[in-house]
Amino acid sequence: MKDMEQKLRNEAKTLLEQGQVDYMVGFEPGSLKFTTTPLITRDKNDVERLVINPFMANNLANFLTELKGRIGIVAKGCDSRSIASLIQDNKVAREDVVILGIPCPGIIDLSKVEKLIGKDRDELEDIIREGDKVVITAGGKRSEFPVNEVLFDNCLGCELPTPQEYDILLGEPASPVIDRSASQASIEQLKGITPQQRWDFWKDEFSRCIRCYACRNVCPACFCQRCFVEETEPQWLMPVPRWQDNLMFQVIRNIHVAGRCTDCGECERVCPVNIPLRSLTKEMYDIVSELFHFKAGMDKDAAPLMTHYEQEEAEDCIR
Amino acid sequence: MKQESEWKPRLLGFLCKWCSYAGADLAGTSRRKYPANIRIIKVPCSGRVDPLFILKALRLGFDGVLVSGCHPGECHYQTGNYRARRRIALTKKFLEYMGVEPERIQASWVSASEGGKFAEVVTEVTRELKEAGPNQLFADERHGTEAT
Amino acid sequence: MDSKKVNKKDIGKLLSQWSKEFTVFVPSKENGVAMMAGWDGTDTSFLDWYRNTVIPPKEHFLPPMEEMFRFQKDKGSYQLEQPASDGQKQLIFAIRPCDANALAILDMTFKDAYEDPYYLSRRKNKLLVGLGCINPYDSCFCTSLGSSPSDVANVDLMLTDIGDEFLIEGITDAGKELIARTSGLEETTEADDARAKEVKEASYHKVTRRIDTGDIGSKLLSCFEDEDYWGKVAAKCISCGICTLLCPTCYCFDISDELVKQQGTRFRCWDSCAFPIYTKMPMENPREEKWRRVRQKVCHKYEFYPMNFGVIACTGCGRCIRLCPVNWDISQTLNSLPAKT
Repeated sequence: MKDMEQKLRNEAKTLLEQGQVDYMVGFEPGSLKFTTTPLITRDKNDVERLVINPFMANNLANFLTELKGRIGIVAKGCDSRSIASLIQDNKVAREDVVILGIPCPGIIDLSKVEKLIGKDRDELEDIIREGDKVVITAGGKRSEFPVNEVLFDNCLGCELPTPQEYDILLGEPASPVIDRSASQASIEQLKGITPQQRWDFWKDEFSRCIRCYACRNVCPACFCQRCFVEETEPQWLMPVPRWQDNLMFQVIRNIHVAGRCTDCGECERVCPVNIPLRSLTKEMYDIVSELFHFKAGMDKDAAPLMTHYEQEEAEDCIR
Repeated sequence: MKQESEWKPRLLGFLCKWCSYAGADLAGTSRRKYPANIRIIKVPCSGRVDPLFILKALRLGFDGVLVSGCHPGECHYQTGNYRARRRIALTKKFLEYMGVEPERIQASWVSASEGGKFAEVVTEVTRELKEAGPNQLFADERHGTEAT
Repeated sequence: MDSKKVNKKDIGKLLSQWSKEFTVFVPSKENGVAMMAGWDGTDTSFLDWYRNTVIPPKEHFLPPMEEMFRFQKDKGSYQLEQPASDGQKQLIFAIRPCDANALAILDMTFKDAYEDPYYLSRRKNKLLVGLGCINPYDSCFCTSLGSSPSDVANVDLMLTDIGDEFLIEGITDAGKELIARTSGLEETTEADDARAKEVKEASYHKVTRRIDTGDIGSKLLSCFEDEDYWGKVAAKCISCGICTLLCPTCYCFDISDELVKQQGTRFRCWDSCAFPIYTKMPMENPREEKWRRVRQKVCHKYEFYPMNFGVIACTGCGRCIRLCPVNWDISQTLNSLPAKT
């Protein structure tokens, strides 16, 4: 990873120096252990802060709909799909982004690490990935685990670890650790209970929602200038965080981003009250794949899901 | 609280102006009998129906929602009903996964000359909703099934 | 010190006793999310994991949503119905000093030009039993704001973890009276008192994050107009509400009415200055741009509130740093303000 990092810094510096981009967007070390934070800069000297590590959770494509000009952007596989999806939607022009692709072997989910070790993130000394193992040091003690026990669920089901759409590829194609059944486990569990139980489950979960909108704001696919929740004429739902309104918000959000969600998992990661949002987004992703043989962002030249249609499709739900 | 035997399902219909609404009109002028449970909102095209309307209807307490448009290939705006078909298909599947009874979201293609079909569709849908029972999805202790 | 102590194993008994007089709230986890919730009568396992809650205790004083009143339309006039006020006395067990201090900061706003009956009636009925921190997060910075992990300034009782036992000090009259009518507490020894003092000293130094609050108000004032600077500071913020909704000193709220046929409710619910439409008005939105909102949040806490009430509206609980989706860190911003011009 150190070679990739140096290559990234060199490329980023060149892009800014030569004026090929107005902004460079990447990851730098966060202010908390085992965290990265987005670096958005016009200054070529800042590129020395760019890093590549197993904690690059953010989907930086989110910033493309807000920054003006030409953007150099660091992208993991899922992020590059979000960029492609934005290009499909005509929100971003291909020639306005310089994609520095990172072949991604999976990002480490700190909440899984915390559960495994029984300590909080700031009480751990080190987390190091060594191939398909992860070594965690806490209280002076070293523990080793198979890395798939600490990767994010969506990483375990990754469909594009190495970006297909890029200008510069920073390393050799990644071979991630795939465990599709682990990645689908929580969804399969939900499918195994009755519809009434499922609805009650979501009622429960959404009782905790505080309507912070982090799930919406962190999502690259949510780029509406005026979200339906902000509409008052007519008012679709109350700003009050009742489960009825919270659930409606999330259901509609999922339907609105259908075909543009790339299963980056950010919505679930950022939720401060641990609502299992990916159990919704991934199911929508699979429904879209099953019904329309479409996966978001796999082909930047493909027509977006909702503008395309086949003559014969999905007729069995229509009388 | 109304008694079970008195309960009649309330169905909200989004009918496209060019085909389905005309078809419903024809059902009326042809004196075709169908249950009076449906309340109709005319939309210019079935493609106008945002899944948000369907959810909002369920939130308001409607027991079922019917979206009806022109047959594929006959849309007045060429492609509106194809959009509707995609949206309805994924909305239905997604809501089923969440635990909503599949009968509550219905769709049909009814052309302007299919008055008979319209009557059949509403009759059939009403029967299914009777079996599914009153919509308790968003009920709360104060408003029962009539939420906003 | 005329303090008492209780063995950690006997906390359940202590809470049971107090439950006869109060509704007791303790740290609880719901799907891994820590918050103060009603005690179930037996579970004291929170002693194993509790550091601080995600949802701050302010939710019991300024709830995420509350009914202000209900109204009934009656032939063109309205009948109003006040919500039944909860006269039950409540006890919040193991509140951290930062969160207790935050309530004192909120008091200033809710007692200002208008005395907010909803907030104040909740405030009146509650007893705060503080628990000093022995294991602060790396995101905590209470010591930079004139406080400490063992600060007793705004609690009624204070517990200090001295090993197998908690030392209990009565701070306010209400707290001392509660101790007096609580049975099963032991007298502390000199060793206990010395140990408590040690623990408090040590915990102060465990807070590693520091901000330089010297002259912070005027530093912020001098760079207020610097759009470039604030643009850089705000670049990675995604304008969600997490830092503000989960901040124990933030108090912005929204009021909305809901009418269903002839019945209605007026709700108050949490709102956030981080939201793009927060300041939207018919003619304009003065904080349309993200950098203005980020600037507002920092300046409100560290410049305007001190101007108005004499105290920084932040107690260093660190939730904003810990929970931010993009790891935006207010302490970094405050420590790197441009030099005063």
